[in-house]
Amino acid sequence: MNRLLVVDDEANIRLLYAEELKDEGYDVVTAGSIAEATEKLQGGSFDLAVLDIKLKNESGIELLQKLVKERHEMPVILCSAFSCYKDDFSAWLADGYVVKSGDLSELKQEIARVLAKKAQKAKVGL
Amino acid sequence: MEWECCWNRSVIELGDCPNILEGDEDLLDSPRRRILEKCSDCERFRRDLDHFQDSGHPLAPVFSLVHSEYQRQRLHIQSLISFLDNKTLEIRFLHELGSVLQSSVDLEEVLSVALTAITAGKGFGMNRAFLLMTEREHAVLRGYLGIGPRNLEEASHIWQEVSSQDMDLQTLAQNFRQNKLSAERAKFHDILERLTVPLSATGHIVVKALDSKKPMLVEDAFHHPDVDPSFAALLGVDTFLLMPLISRNRRVGMIIADNCITHRRITDEDMHSMETFAFPVAFAIERAALYDRLQVELNRVTEAGVKLKEQQELIVRMEKMALVGRITSSIAHSIRNPLMIIGGFARSMLKNSENDPRRDFIESIITETRQLEGVLDEILNYSDSLYPTRDYWDINQLIESAVRDIQDRLVASGAECRFSPQPGLPLVYVDYKQVSYCVRTIVSSDIDGRDGGAVTIRVHQQDDTIHLHIEDPRRIVSADELEALLTPFGITHDMGSGLGLALCRTMLEKHGLPFLVVAPPQGGITYRIILPTRKEEDHHEQTTGS
Repeated sequence: MNRLLVVDDEANIRLLYAEELKDEGYDVVTAGSIAEATEKLQGGSFDLAVLDIKLKNESGIELLQKLVKERHEMPVILCSAFSCYKDDFSAWLADGYVVKSGDLSELKQEIARVLAKKAQKAKVGL
Repeated sequence: MEWECCWNRSVIELGDCPNILEGDEDLLDSPRRRILEKCSDCERFRRDLDHFQDSGHPLAPVFSLVHSEYQRQRLHIQSLISFLDNKTLEIRFLHELGSVLQSSVDLEEVLSVALTAITAGKGFGMNRAFLLMTEREHAVLRGYLGIGPRNLEEASHIWQEVSSQDMDLQTLAQNFRQNKLSAERAKFHDILERLTVPLSATGHIVVKALDSKKPMLVEDAFHHPDVDPSFAALLGVDTFLLMPLISRNRRVGMIIADNCITHRRITDEDMHSMETFAFPVAFAIERAALYDRLQVELNRVTEAGVKLKEQQELIVRMEKMALVGRITSSIAHSIRNPLMIIGGFARSMLKNSENDPRRDFIESIITETRQLEGVLDEILNYSDSLYPTRDYWDINQLIESAVRDIQDRLVASGAECRFSPQPGLPLVYVDYKQVSYCVRTIVSSDIDGRDGGAVTIRVHQQDDTIHLHIEDPRRIVSADELEALLTPFGITHDMGSGLGLALCRTMLEKHGLPFLVVAPPQGGITYRIILPTRKEEDHHEQTTGS
């Protein structure tokens, strides 16, 4: 079972993600801030992280940069209310970008695509 | 003693004296005036004087001495009168010249007056003159203007013309400026372009004269030790006058004048007169040049002022845009998250509500949240349209990508979007996101609320533009519906509501890209967008729906 870390400052969104992604067969761990996410990351390994960009007074992009630097093997998907960050160079570090929507199909497809790509990479030994 | 002359007669008749002619009748009964004005030059009086000398009278030698001294003093006085007359004419001329020069700040006018004064018969009467101006940035004296005839034939023609018109200096100068300035410049172009002397060439006769700040008469130029033979050959004369133009110790330029046609000797008097003339000319030239520079600076300041005002207005606009951006950003975060939660949980509940009597309510929540998310997307797209980023893009790839983005929607509606890429098209210079949005929105709005249908996208090149046509031959749209379609938040029966097409029109026209919607009464609708292929292309034609 793939283990996902979901980071979002909105408690209800974390709850929605957890419920929906568990239904998809993932083991979901949530965090409401960068500090909490760091703590969860130290507690175990994850197959993928879903990050919000605007985290109250923090930036998901900063966490993305940290993850790319320290855990480059773990893919990251940015999930934001803003489409404009798609054109931001710093957001290009992420493996996927999804604009938030009540219809989580796109996010689910993106998670499946990124995990499949990761598995493919592992298979060829990259 | 018999006297031949009539000096001893108190009254004489006309014809008694060979020197008294018609018009001198008032001298006939005035012996004093007659003796002073006429007798001293009369041959008869001279012979009477000789007889008196021969008579041995003791006063005869004294009288002869007094007479000869009188003659000498008279000649001297006449010479002085002549000199004063000349000086009076010269002062009048300089006064006229000064008046004209002081009243002008136009460089061309000043130069016309100066060179006309040197060459006009009423002025210094030189045959030809060249003006060299100092170029400080290049540290050279450069030939700027020439005036005068190039040969005897032309000289005769000019002098005849001038003498027949009897014009004052100002009129002559105006005439020269209006009718001859360009022609004279062209006429002496071959000489002027070679009349360039570096200010560093201190051995050159022209620079020597300039440094001395005194006029210099150069004679026997072809054998003069300080004159470069090529310079003498260029002027083609062996005598010329160099007159430096100095103003406030600044080297303004140099006038070279000569009598290349008449070969009249240039006198010291000519030099002194022209030296007096040089100062107001130099001053006027410098003042006119400064005025020109002042005008240039003034224009720059004015332009800078206009630009500054534009920038200030731009800053105000940008601040307003930034405010719009902040507001929409705030809306995005404040509305999208709750919408997502409501819609997300509603979908979650729907999955397990097959027998739930409230299933319809849940579906309504999902539909309404989806619609609200659509409105939110349009508002955010409008916010993005405030900052277009143009670049060169492949139109085939852009359309294919846009159609791919709405493929799910097309499938859900049972509709089809046909597009055949056209090979060999040039790249279009557009904002990719905006044009892609327009293609998606036009196709989506066309299929909205319909079951099935087919939309065709065509592209073709016309001159420096690419014409993009989106056609639906089966759609029937009335004029009112079309107007509503292109109005923000306008509502049509079939094609939904919102910002969609109105935003497309605003985006495209704001950046000068013509957008035309043709919906004839017999049916069919065609959306046409004209895209530039060149950066400098400026499409300001604004075409709206009809």
